[in-house]
Amino acid sequence: MVRILLRFSEDIVEQPITSQIILELKVPINIITAHVNSKGGEVLAEVPDESLDKVVKAFRKRGAKVSIPKLIEVDAEKCVSCGACVTLCPVEAITIDEDASVVFNKEKCIGSTCSACVDACPSRAIKSVKQNNSELVANNAH
Amino acid sequence: MKRLVESSGVEVAFREVDVVTTGTFGAMCSSGAIINLGHADPPIKIDKAWINDVPICHPGAAVDLYIGATAMSERQPFEYGGGHVIEALVCGKEVELRATAYGTDCYPRTQIKTNLTKDDLNQFYLLNFRNCYQRYNCAVNSRDETIYTYMGKLLPRLKNATYSGAGELNPLMNDPDYETIGIGTRIFLGGAQGYVIGEGTQHEPQNLNGTIMVRGDAKKMNPEFLRGATFTRYGTTLYVGLGIPIPILNEGLAKKTAIRDEEIFTNVVDYGVPRRNRPKLAKVSYKELKSGAITVGDKRIRVSSLSSLKTARKIAATLKAWIEQGEFFLTAPVERLPVDTVFKPMRQTEEVSFVSNVMQKAVTCSETESVQAVAERIVTRSVNHIVMVDDSGKLTGIVTSWDITRALAQGKTALADIVTRRVITAKLDEPLETASKRMAQHKISALPVIDNEKKVLGIVTAEDVSKLLGR
Repeated sequence: MVRILLRFSEDIVEQPITSQIILELKVPINIITAHVNSKGGEVLAEVPDESLDKVVKAFRKRGAKVSIPKLIEVDAEKCVSCGACVTLCPVEAITIDEDASVVFNKEKCIGSTCSACVDACPSRAIKSVKQNNSELVANNAH
Repeated sequence: MKRLVESSGVEVAFREVDVVTTGTFGAMCSSGAIINLGHADPPIKIDKAWINDVPICHPGAAVDLYIGATAMSERQPFEYGGGHVIEALVCGKEVELRATAYGTDCYPRTQIKTNLTKDDLNQFYLLNFRNCYQRYNCAVNSRDETIYTYMGKLLPRLKNATYSGAGELNPLMNDPDYETIGIGTRIFLGGAQGYVIGEGTQHEPQNLNGTIMVRGDAKKMNPEFLRGATFTRYGTTLYVGLGIPIPILNEGLAKKTAIRDEEIFTNVVDYGVPRRNRPKLAKVSYKELKSGAITVGDKRIRVSSLSSLKTARKIAATLKAWIEQGEFFLTAPVERLPVDTVFKPMRQTEEVSFVSNVMQKAVTCSETESVQAVAERIVTRSVNHIVMVDDSGKLTGIVTSWDITRALAQGKTALADIVTRRVITAKLDEPLETASKRMAQHKISALPVIDNEKKVLGIVTAEDVSKLLGR
């Protein structure tokens, strides 16, 4: 499965684009997170690898913006592998491997919509990448 | 050693092994560094000082300062602090010193601002008054909200747990009777060689909570083993890397250093209760903690480490390499750590109030009652809050006199339409100060007091709090 980030503008947000594409292409599209209101929407979805091209084309044809999201950045220099982040991850994307290193599975991470690990990092090594404007969101827990 | 004792027994292990190295790398708030700046011209007898905006302690004389790891920057509190200043200096970075003074005949200067690196300092010694806890609590949170503690971020309703410490790799755990550890023991400290200078504050050996006080030349330290850190909404601290070599002087030490994680237990403690004696919910071994999940009652809880096992292992391995290469020589302590000190709580000469001191009986109603009936009760009992409960006395909502007024204005007659379901509550043994803060935070004037089963025990109102506190 591949993660794609879909953005719908105000003009098209009312249309059932995702449903239409699922019906038309007969591809299972799994919605991971969705933030939609009358001003637009942002949906993180998973599609099967082999269908990626046609799904992306279909969304673009209907006016949606499609990107492969980068959700989280971990500064390996700052990370001391303490593990404070591990249990905060609701999708178990953070694990500890054999040599006690903390490992981030970026495929599983749901990114800025969650960010539960960000303010738990004592080394401030984790930054979640906000998708709307592709800016780094620094820790602002206060 | 651990494997050798298991496979060949204590006798063989004692003959074959000379030294066991240990290590730990965790947040140690009771750390800091003493620095000497040298004299300015004209000279200054510093009264107040800041480095990179972090207030620095001035313990005495003119130009000696102590950088406390938990002191926080005035411009970026909770994000940057003494631990980060120490790390910056160890890295060789330039820091900004600001200081003020009252001026004397011999030290006329009243202020100074200058930039410094560690090379400009006469002395730069890490001087930690309590490090290397033998073991530590495992923390959970029973409250309905996430809390941020020195044990990290704790999710509501025991949804996660955190722990600290290296378990079987911990230095004091490998020599629990402190046969080889005491004043003058040479150790690995922050990537350099340092010394134990005595027992740490709060040293509590009989409870397996021993600690040590240490000193080391920070100019020689390595930032890999000394890191400034931040615990959200708690503050800043310093991660300290510390390792002690244990010489295997007798069979007893061979046996003791073979200790395993499954033999080291600690308590699962509820940090949701803001009291000195927090409830202990379970006992777990470091083996369970390191496995990533523990069991409390019938609940499986994922557990995070706050200290780095990876770095702890690296410290033990580095210390081993130093000894093998003849770069590090073991020392015998001049005086061993005490084994009988106790850790007393603070003597408090002023009384503190808890929710239980001001709690009153709650006036209740049930969901099926009418707005009219509840309005009457508010008048006859002269209260402002009616707590809604179910048949078993468990909290289901709250109705205030304001809710009744609004119901009247809007012509609503069903209690279900006006009741507040998400009720902010208090616990019986909670300090009144935290309960009172919660009322202010949510702009409300009363908190139903409930037990762990949500059963209503009473109510505490802002009025009662101000009566007591205004006394």
